[in-house]
Amino acid sequence: MIELQGITRVYAPSGRPPVHALSDVSLRIERGEFVAVVGTSGSGKSTLMSIFGLLARPTSGRYLFDGHDVTTLSVEEQARFRNKRVGFVFQGLHLLPRTSALENVELPLLYSERTAIDGLGSKALAAVGLTDRMQHTPAELSGGQQQRVAIARALVNEPDIVLADEPTGNLDPRSALEVMSLFRELNRQGHTIVIVTHDMAMAGHAKRVARIENGRIVADRTTTPARERASEAR
Amino acid sequence: MNAIRLVRHSIRAISRYKQRSAFIMLGSFVGTAALTLVVAVGAGAERKMLSTVRQLFGVSSIIVMAGGAHLMGPPRANAARLTLDDIEAIASDVSAVEIWDPQQALPEASVRYEGRTATARVLGQSERAERAWQRTVTRGVFIDETAVRASARVALIGETTARELFGDGDPIGQEILVGNVPLRIVGILEPFGTDLHGMDRDDEVVVPISTMMRRLMNVDTIILAKILVRDPSQVEGAVRDITRVLRERHGIPAGRPDDFTLVSPITVQKMVARTERILKLYLPLVAAIALLVATIVAAALMLASVNERVGEIGLRRAVGARVEDVLLQFVVETSATMLSGGLLGVIAGSVAAEAIAARLHLGQLLPWRAALLGIVVSIITGILAGVLPARRAARLDPVEALR
Ligand SMILES: Nc1ncnc2c1ncn2[C@@H]1O[C@H](COP(=O)(O)OP(=O)(O)OP(=O)(O)O)[C@@H](O)[C@H]1O
Ligand SMILES: [Mg+2]
Repeated sequence: MIELQGITRVYAPSGRPPVHALSDVSLRIERGEFVAVVGTSGSGKSTLMSIFGLLARPTSGRYLFDGHDVTTLSVEEQARFRNKRVGFVFQGLHLLPRTSALENVELPLLYSERTAIDGLGSKALAAVGLTDRMQHTPAELSGGQQQRVAIARALVNEPDIVLADEPTGNLDPRSALEVMSLFRELNRQGHTIVIVTHDMAMAGHAKRVARIENGRIVADRTTTPARERASEAR
Repeated sequence: MNAIRLVRHSIRAISRYKQRSAFIMLGSFVGTAALTLVVAVGAGAERKMLSTVRQLFGVSSIIVMAGGAHLMGPPRANAARLTLDDIEAIASDVSAVEIWDPQQALPEASVRYEGRTATARVLGQSERAERAWQRTVTRGVFIDETAVRASARVALIGETTARELFGDGDPIGQEILVGNVPLRIVGILEPFGTDLHGMDRDDEVVVPISTMMRRLMNVDTIILAKILVRDPSQVEGAVRDITRVLRERHGIPAGRPDDFTLVSPITVQKMVARTERILKLYLPLVAAIALLVATIVAAALMLASVNERVGEIGLRRAVGARVEDVLLQFVVETSATMLSGGLLGVIAGSVAAEAIAARLHLGQLLPWRAALLGIVVSIITGILAGVLPARRAARLDPVEALR
């Protein structure tokens, strides 16, 4: 479904040597996959995700989505693409303060071309188990609950792919586990999911793990069915 | 519709940041209030001035004052010779003259009745004052020709003076003392209010000009005369003729300045125009500066608030907002904030203007053009300060804005 071909991303801060955050990355993800991208801090995971999500453009290379090159889309076409195709869970969450969980979740619908949007927000919140917290503001929610609001926002517009950057980074082990089970459940329902983590235990929940080092994919393997069954059984 | 959803969302965003919005609102509030207040009071003062001028001074009147080269202000008490004979000569030599009324005055005389004393302006006038100055009596009778010929000891009294001396009692027929001269009150003067100099024109006593000159002051000069010509078109010619008659009678050689002053609708027009320039230009200028300062403050706050919201803009872009969606939101937020501040400012400014107008006896009218200007300027500044930086942020790659 999505395919990166020879993607390079160079940051060139003025006056300092350029940083090759991604070097010649090629990666293909099919519908229904659950991929974990792992790597140490600074290895280029977030950069990779922002290119997947069309939040930034690669310096070179091609990004094909259902066979179409999306790097050549206009600025407004990219906005439309992000709205319809992608659900992004940001590393820093970025929930609107003083705004109810429901309104946060409904934010992508505000910019959607859909007309029938009633009930989608509460449906997404129900999917992450927050039916009883819809009117709470982020400040009134726990870290794990905030994370789930962010996930519900990524799901609300029924995207083709959910991208989550460090969704368990700031959570205690219990909440982290809950969030990972949620992703597994969503994947089981058919969502295509890519998460970033530097925690191998979390990566173990995914069906496929891609390791990135210094902006290059150095390993890419599909987990054994046994392991997958074991994690399902937990 | 999509846009309506977005507008509603933007309005809700304002109420989420009450304090921030309130401070920005305050800027447009102060600016608009100042502008509305100043322009309202200025316009009221202007209307008051024009109506008083019209009241004092019809389109076909000329005032002859003793003493040279002064336009406005009370006549000079000890100014050079202007006599009843001068005015009578004008009346007989200048054919355009229809009515003439000489005047002599004591600016502050003490007026007594039994135990009470009041200070009033005492005017000596002829029986023609009623027509010349368009001021009659509300009760009793005006001074008549016989009284003027006989220097009769009679007086008309203004309402303020009457109240001070008689309270609720009836002054007509009573005897008051001006200096040591007893005067019998025959009429109550029509109320006038305050004049251009802020003087209460109801604090007045009017006596026959002859009584004034002979019995109260012992002078043979007058301070001014009001002359009405038959038709407004005759004013200019009459001014020329009066000047010639008076210069001749006063023996002023050519090249020397007049020892009298003529005030005609033409000179009044010039004076009004000068005052109007002050009211119409300088006052609004002051108000505009207030508006400018207030909107700069609002703009700075707006700018700071948008800079704080770059991340929010990045988020909106990341979930699919187009640049124009972000712009619409900021235009709505900014205009709604500035508009409500501005409307409150207009209300506050008008209320304050109303209070001032009531104290100064000015008419009141909402200066809607100034109010509109204040609101429009606020909104434009808001848009420049709020929407332009928002647009810059919206054009960044979402990751850049989110950082
Ligand atoms: N805007 C930028 N300007 C310059 N260099 C940048 C910029 N963003 C990222 N980098 C560099 O690119 C490299 C990859 O960054 P990236 O954020 O993708 O890492 P990461 O794997 O997500 O790290 P972490 O696990 O800490 O989130 C890093 O070396 C970083 O310093
Ligand atoms: Mg990262």
